[in-house]
Amino acid sequence: MSRRFVVLAATLMLIVSACGGTGTSGTTTAPAATTAPVAVATTAAPTAAPPCTVGVSWNNYQEERWAKWDEPAIKAAIAAGGGKYISNDAKSSAETQASNVDNLISQGAKVVIVLAQDGTAIKPSVAKAIQNGVAVIAYDRLIEDPKALYITFDNVLVGKLEAQSVFAAKASGNYVIIKGNKADANADFLRGGYDQVIKAAVTSGAIKIVGETYTDNWDPAKAQTEMEQFLTANSNKVDAVLSENDGMAGGVVAALTAQGLAGKVPVSGQDGDKAALNRIALGTQTVDVWKDSRALGKSAGEAAMQLCKNSDITKVTGTAPFTTPGGNTVSSILLQPDPITSANLKDVLDAGWITKADLCQGVAAGKNASCN
Amino acid sequence: MSGPPIPNAPTAEGRPAGSIASVFGPIGAALAPVRRTLSYLEVDTRLLGMVLALAVIWVSFDLVSGGTFLSPRNLWNLSVQSSSIAIMATGMVLVIVSRGIDLSVGSMLGFLGYTMAMTQAVWIPQALGLGFDRPYTWIIAVVVGVALGAVIGGLQGFVIAYGGVPSFIVTLGGLLVWRGLIFRYAQGQTIAPLDQNFQMLGGGTVGTRVGALGEWASWILGAVICVAIVYTLITGRRRRRRYGFPNRPLWAEAMLGLAGCAVALGVMWVANSYPLPINVALQYGQEHGITPPPGGLIIPTGLAFPVVIMLGVTVVMTFIASRRRFGRYVYAIGGNPEAAALAGINVRRTLMLTFSLMGALVALSAAVQTARLDAAVTNLGVQNELDVISAAVIGGTSFAGGIGTIPGAILGAVVMQSLRSGMVLLLVDSPTQDIVVGIVLVAAVGLDTALRRRTT
Amino acid sequence: MSAMPAPVPPRVPLAELRDIQVSFGGVRAVDGVTVDVYPGEVVGLVGGNGAGKSTLIRTLSGARPPDSGQIRVSGQAVTIANPRDAKALGIETIYQTLALADNLDAPANVFLGRELTATGTLNDAAMESATRKVISRLNPNFKNFKMPVLRLSGGQRQAVAIARAIHFNARVLIMDEPTAALGPAETAQVHALVEQLKRDGIGIFLISHDIHDVFDLSDRISVMYHGKLVGTVKKEEITTDEVLGMIILGKPPTKLTAQELAELRSPAG
Repeated sequence: MSRRFVVLAATLMLIVSACGGTGTSGTTTAPAATTAPVAVATTAAPTAAPPCTVGVSWNNYQEERWAKWDEPAIKAAIAAGGGKYISNDAKSSAETQASNVDNLISQGAKVVIVLAQDGTAIKPSVAKAIQNGVAVIAYDRLIEDPKALYITFDNVLVGKLEAQSVFAAKASGNYVIIKGNKADANADFLRGGYDQVIKAAVTSGAIKIVGETYTDNWDPAKAQTEMEQFLTANSNKVDAVLSENDGMAGGVVAALTAQGLAGKVPVSGQDGDKAALNRIALGTQTVDVWKDSRALGKSAGEAAMQLCKNSDITKVTGTAPFTTPGGNTVSSILLQPDPITSANLKDVLDAGWITKADLCQGVAAGKNASCN
Repeated sequence: MSGPPIPNAPTAEGRPAGSIASVFGPIGAALAPVRRTLSYLEVDTRLLGMVLALAVIWVSFDLVSGGTFLSPRNLWNLSVQSSSIAIMATGMVLVIVSRGIDLSVGSMLGFLGYTMAMTQAVWIPQALGLGFDRPYTWIIAVVVGVALGAVIGGLQGFVIAYGGVPSFIVTLGGLLVWRGLIFRYAQGQTIAPLDQNFQMLGGGTVGTRVGALGEWASWILGAVICVAIVYTLITGRRRRRRYGFPNRPLWAEAMLGLAGCAVALGVMWVANSYPLPINVALQYGQEHGITPPPGGLIIPTGLAFPVVIMLGVTVVMTFIASRRRFGRYVYAIGGNPEAAALAGINVRRTLMLTFSLMGALVALSAAVQTARLDAAVTNLGVQNELDVISAAVIGGTSFAGGIGTIPGAILGAVVMQSLRSGMVLLLVDSPTQDIVVGIVLVAAVGLDTALRRRTT
Repeated sequence: MSAMPAPVPPRVPLAELRDIQVSFGGVRAVDGVTVDVYPGEVVGLVGGNGAGKSTLIRTLSGARPPDSGQIRVSGQAVTIANPRDAKALGIETIYQTLALADNLDAPANVFLGRELTATGTLNDAAMESATRKVISRLNPNFKNFKMPVLRLSGGQRQAVAIARAIHFNARVLIMDEPTAALGPAETAQVHALVEQLKRDGIGIFLISHDIHDVFDLSDRISVMYHGKLVGTVKKEEITTDEVLGMIILGKPPTKLTAQELAELRSPAG
């Protein structure tokens, strides 16, 4: 979950490119996408009624993920429902995004999907849209407005799935917990998910937490140092490691390797990093909780088509109430992430998420069925 | 032993220019004999004060951790953990001495680490189709990284020196640009695994290969350092005698030589006291057909390669700072830029080269960090600039310019890392660690400033 | 306005500045000034604050090349673009600010930019030895050769700055306020040094606000006023009051009225 950092860095990059006078950039990384402020993709199916227009406000289209995974899935779902897709890019500016939302509506959008740059700053624009009868979907990131539909992966569940796989491998003994950035709420969501699995065993004394720390910036190098110190402090008597993401899991595995413990101590992670999936094939990481962005995009596109017909967000299929950190209850669709272990590595290959060469680099023949 | 003049160094006449002891009034009087001895030894009392402070930190952590902190294993880890920051801190000393600052080192480290990772994991094996883990791969990766580092640093230095843009601004821009470029050409992906030979540079373990010198090479290196110290003392003495200058008393000279040798061999002894981890040793035994004896197979690890690199950098940088014209000019520019220019020094060229040297050192640190992690990640080196600047400043480098030493910066880096890893060992969480390190930083510089004011 | 004929006409000036112009922004700090110095001669350069003395002399030391005009050394036209060029021509300068790197010790300052090396490394012992020799001529009590010059007294710092200028066999020496920071004993030492250097055949430009210093040491005196040369006069042919008149009123003595001279005398006491 280094997304917050990615956004920050992308913001800085944008400032730099703006300073450099290059203006509209992003052509190097966004293969299919247009860099024009508004992209219009009309659907092929001409229907009698004018198609319902769905507008997407990206916060920063230059990030690889949105162009590569999310947008095609949203587009496909809208096209399948007979709708029309328009979008614009806020280039990491909360102010730009506010006016972008207005622009989408004036272009005729009946539903607006917002990937918020700032979940608080966007609230007035969202409220105005809803007053004008436009339905709003908060995509991937929470907007604290009870009238906006929230579609995301369940972060507490991510933590739970990580812990379940590690717990299945080692139900007792000394646990180390490497958490992410202390300022990032997700670090605590994930930790909450861990507790759902291991709390009972911790209370009973079967599991002893011998080391637990936040890690500034989700920094893998810091995680490595932390792990080294925990191993030293416990004379290598560490039986399992819960690492909140893949990057830090890499640092943990490096520290375990130095003590000849890699592959002997279960380690968790999330994000579907190529390097982490490779570690699962190698056997040095136990689980990588994978959130398929395409499923998220598809879900949002389908929800938008339903909202075209009925703007009541509680009537959308699969919604459930969700209590936000701000105390609001919003309708939400929480997607299930997939825990990837050595048993189901085939899933990421089949999904085209990773190539076999990347997944199986350095894996001995016969070690993992997916690499054969 | 003569380096760039250090304000607090005792004078040739044996008058202590300012010892730590002098600050404490009556205690200072009681310590007069100690002070006299130190003045005979002509050692830098500031540096000695830092060594004492470090000793206090180490012993305290050791007591609280029940003997874990000063175990060979922890000291070995500590040495590896410190080396990346220490390598960069030696360059930062020269940058700050010349009245500049380099805020871009963390981002540059990420960028260079990424480039080296791409070179060895993508370009050479895949794009050029030469395959993985070739014997030359790591050399090419390091050469590419260091050359690019020198160019990038030199580019920033050019804008600073010839463009007249303040270094704070240029390197702040660099901090954004180099980090941004990582996202541009790697698109947020982690590059791993890396070349197996390259991983040795980080002191890591691949199978049964460990990135360390091993037992005998460590002892030999220790002996070589010892001989070098004695040789330096003897030639220095001979040279001074040739010009008819007063020399230290012979006993003082012998004491310095003995102390130097003791430190060099002591470090090797600690490194060799850390045996390979049991699992690694067992596997090693199996591969080499050694039956483990009843007490288990004990194979000394020896000095880690990152530490060897750091030592090499320290020697070279100290030589540049104190024995080469370039270093003398850097200090002169820091002391009085106008005077340096009037003395005919090419100030702009010197400044540009200082930043270029910084870039090359960042590349070495990037190699160590990526090799150690066995991966290049997008947030590699984030906030390292703060650690590097802190190490230099704790080591006595002054923002006023002209003052700072390479060994001081190395000690500063070790102090910082000792605090950090000691606190992790004691399960202190990262927010508290930040608070402690922040206070120590300010206190160290405050104390240093107070000492200087007293002695000037 | 024309320079006085030299004592022995066939001799060539060691250094000549001809029709030098220097402007800062729109202001002409030095406007068509011509001065020269012969071997074994001291030329005093005087003028009020902002008269352009230092700016003029910085064109010779390489600190600020002139916008136009010509510099000749031993009769040859030369280009002095930076301090290195000046030093290569044997022109050394003692700046009013001393231009010392305060964090370095005396030998490092004396040899700054011209370090002695042995097999590529600095030879500190050789530099210290040479520095001890040259400074002992100026100040036999000077002992702090390993101390940053920051912590030396004003006189000792001055000695370091002078040592730097005379160690490298200067042919032309520029002294900008060399006695400003000194006490009487040290001033006397500097006077003795100047006499010694004259005997060695060195040409000296002496800038000073102290008219007595100038009269004691100089053979000729060039007076500047608002960036222009008022005139160059032989010491024996002029009085201090007449020089003061040139400095304050910017007129050569021949053009001064009796009343102006009287007014000059009265405030001077």
